[in-house]
Amino acid sequence: MLYRETGDFSSTYAADQQTFPIRSERYLFWTAMAFAFLVVPFLVNDYWEKSVLVPLLVWSMAALGLNILTGYCGQVSLGTGGFMAVGAYACYKLMTAFPEMNMFIVVVLSGGVTAFVGMLFGLPSLRIKGFYLAVATLAAQFFLVWIFNKVPWFYNNSASGQITAPERTIFGVAVTGASAPPWATYLFCLTLVFVFAWVARNLTRGQLGRSWMAIRDMDIAAEIIGVQPLKAKISAFAVSSFYIGVAGALYFSVWLGAAEPTEAFGIDKSFLVLFMVIIGGLGSILGSFLGAAFLTLMPVLLKNVMVGGMSWPTDLAAHIEIMLVGGLIVFFLIVEPHGLAQLWRLLKEKLRLWPFPY
Amino acid sequence: MNQHINPGSMRADDGIEKGGMLLHVDNISLSFGGVKAISDISFDIKKGEVRAIIGPNGAGKTSMLNVINGFYHPQEGTITFRGEKRRRMRPHRAAKQGIARTFQNIALFKGMSTLDNIMTGRMTLMHSNILAQALWVGPARNEELAHREAVERIIDFLEIEHIRKTPVGRLPYGLQKRVELGRALAADPALLLLDEPMAGMNLEEKEDMSRFVMDVNQQFGTTIALIEHDMGVVMDLSDRVVVLDYGQKIGDGTPDEVRNNQKVIDAYLGVAHD
Ligand SMILES: Nc1ncnc2c1ncn2[C@@H]1O[C@H](COP(=O)(O)OP(=O)(O)O)[C@@H](O)[C@H]1O
Ligand SMILES: [Mg+2]
Repeated sequence: MLYRETGDFSSTYAADQQTFPIRSERYLFWTAMAFAFLVVPFLVNDYWEKSVLVPLLVWSMAALGLNILTGYCGQVSLGTGGFMAVGAYACYKLMTAFPEMNMFIVVVLSGGVTAFVGMLFGLPSLRIKGFYLAVATLAAQFFLVWIFNKVPWFYNNSASGQITAPERTIFGVAVTGASAPPWATYLFCLTLVFVFAWVARNLTRGQLGRSWMAIRDMDIAAEIIGVQPLKAKISAFAVSSFYIGVAGALYFSVWLGAAEPTEAFGIDKSFLVLFMVIIGGLGSILGSFLGAAFLTLMPVLLKNVMVGGMSWPTDLAAHIEIMLVGGLIVFFLIVEPHGLAQLWRLLKEKLRLWPFPY
Repeated sequence: MNQHINPGSMRADDGIEKGGMLLHVDNISLSFGGVKAISDISFDIKKGEVRAIIGPNGAGKTSMLNVINGFYHPQEGTITFRGEKRRRMRPHRAAKQGIARTFQNIALFKGMSTLDNIMTGRMTLMHSNILAQALWVGPARNEELAHREAVERIIDFLEIEHIRKTPVGRLPYGLQKRVELGRALAADPALLLLDEPMAGMNLEEKEDMSRFVMDVNQQFGTTIALIEHDMGVVMDLSDRVVVLDYGQKIGDGTPDEVRNNQKVIDAYLGVAHD
């Protein structure tokens, strides 16, 4: 029996506030992390890196970001693609302007730039809500992609209008560029995702996270008990955009290597991340990962089974994938708004009581 | 254990003696378009008392609380809180000054647990910055734990230990009302505004709630403004009563004085209520 929640009483508030208060869950988590950090790097090859692991990590980072804004603070955004573009272009400009700069710093600064842009586009949220805010963020999406197409300074006047990531190293090992070894790019992304997932967890369990959730659940009451709407909403936009900017920076520099704004950062990316958050679970850190994993891995799996295994045409497989995702969105919105994370929680409760349900 | 909760203790002493003026409401008028919700009302609240506000539905009681905590802005009149005259301000400023409240229609954060709801009540008392919170380091973590301890005392006091981790949306109505009181108490209020805390409760729940209100006032000395329809409760709990009708003040005094005031009897006590 894996779970014994009933037997684990916390004797101190510090213990009670741990991320994994249940011992078996804690062991499971650290075992998985040890595997991810110490074993996977030795196994990873080019295919796993580019098709599975790096996409999974990049989308997890983006989903974490959107979940902070939408899941925790209740502000819907359709601008995720545009904010990823901000992160990517900030990353490109920093990489080319400061070739010596450590890539960790480049990526974090890219997140910082995106946080600032996100705050600006978050200002309308003080006046408008729900559907109208979604439309405003949609405008941000199109505006940002347009400006990255339009202004040559952003792509250093390159003839193709594309941005291309030069090779950059950390401790002498390349993490960007064509010759970067898969294990290095994987570990680079994993480290960032690990650290920032932990930060997201801290922020959401503290007073800032509570102010976000208070705004989400009832903004008027929140203000009356002392939450400053301006501070709560703008900080949610800033933190969320930071994550999405970091995701965009990694997406461009590590995963794609080269990007063109309309193609790489279109509205479809905004929807993809939104679907991840809905399917994974609004207002859940774990849900961000589950949603990202689900929508990253499912197409790979479907493709392998339908195209590879049953030799169906690729476009049929793609259509089936779209239908499946659509059906799942409807299912989760109607039946289980708390997503996969909630299903996981229910499963745990079942396991805890098993084999004696009463 | 109750005596360890000490609302007001985290706030700077205002130097007002028990029985001194805590709040002055002077000539307040408030209207919405053509509807006059409050016309030229004045009264005061003394430190340490339970001040009941009664009156038929639509009399303007809730609007009055909304004026006091800065949610509505009256067209005329002034509010003086702790000796400071106030003009327009946002509700979170009033919260910062120590005015906490509960709502006629429960306004809890439905997706959050009981514990998180009450912790949110301490919003104005917690100050660690975003970086410290992000890294969960020393000051932020210690602050969180210290406030958690205070909140746990409130949870004990209100006897809601068993629902600490339950999302409040799943709680029955009576318990939600209690959690909402907890959230207001968590602010260490200098003035606690309760808008019909016992409405819709059964007898047992009402008795519990009356006991909590009385304990808060007597043990911690918290000043309370209480809107309540149940006259028995009002007579038992309050030190002084102000009576509103159609936005006008028609009575003000001790429960006995108000009970014998002919205007009040006509306007309020004589009228059958739902
Ligand atoms: N936000 C508002 N907009 C318009 N009218 C309001 C608003 N709030 C209160 N009123 C009106 O003010 C009057 C007093 O209402 P209220 O203060 O809720 O009374 P009570 O709490 O005594 O039942 C009512 O006529 C009500 O319709
Ligand atoms: Mg009312």
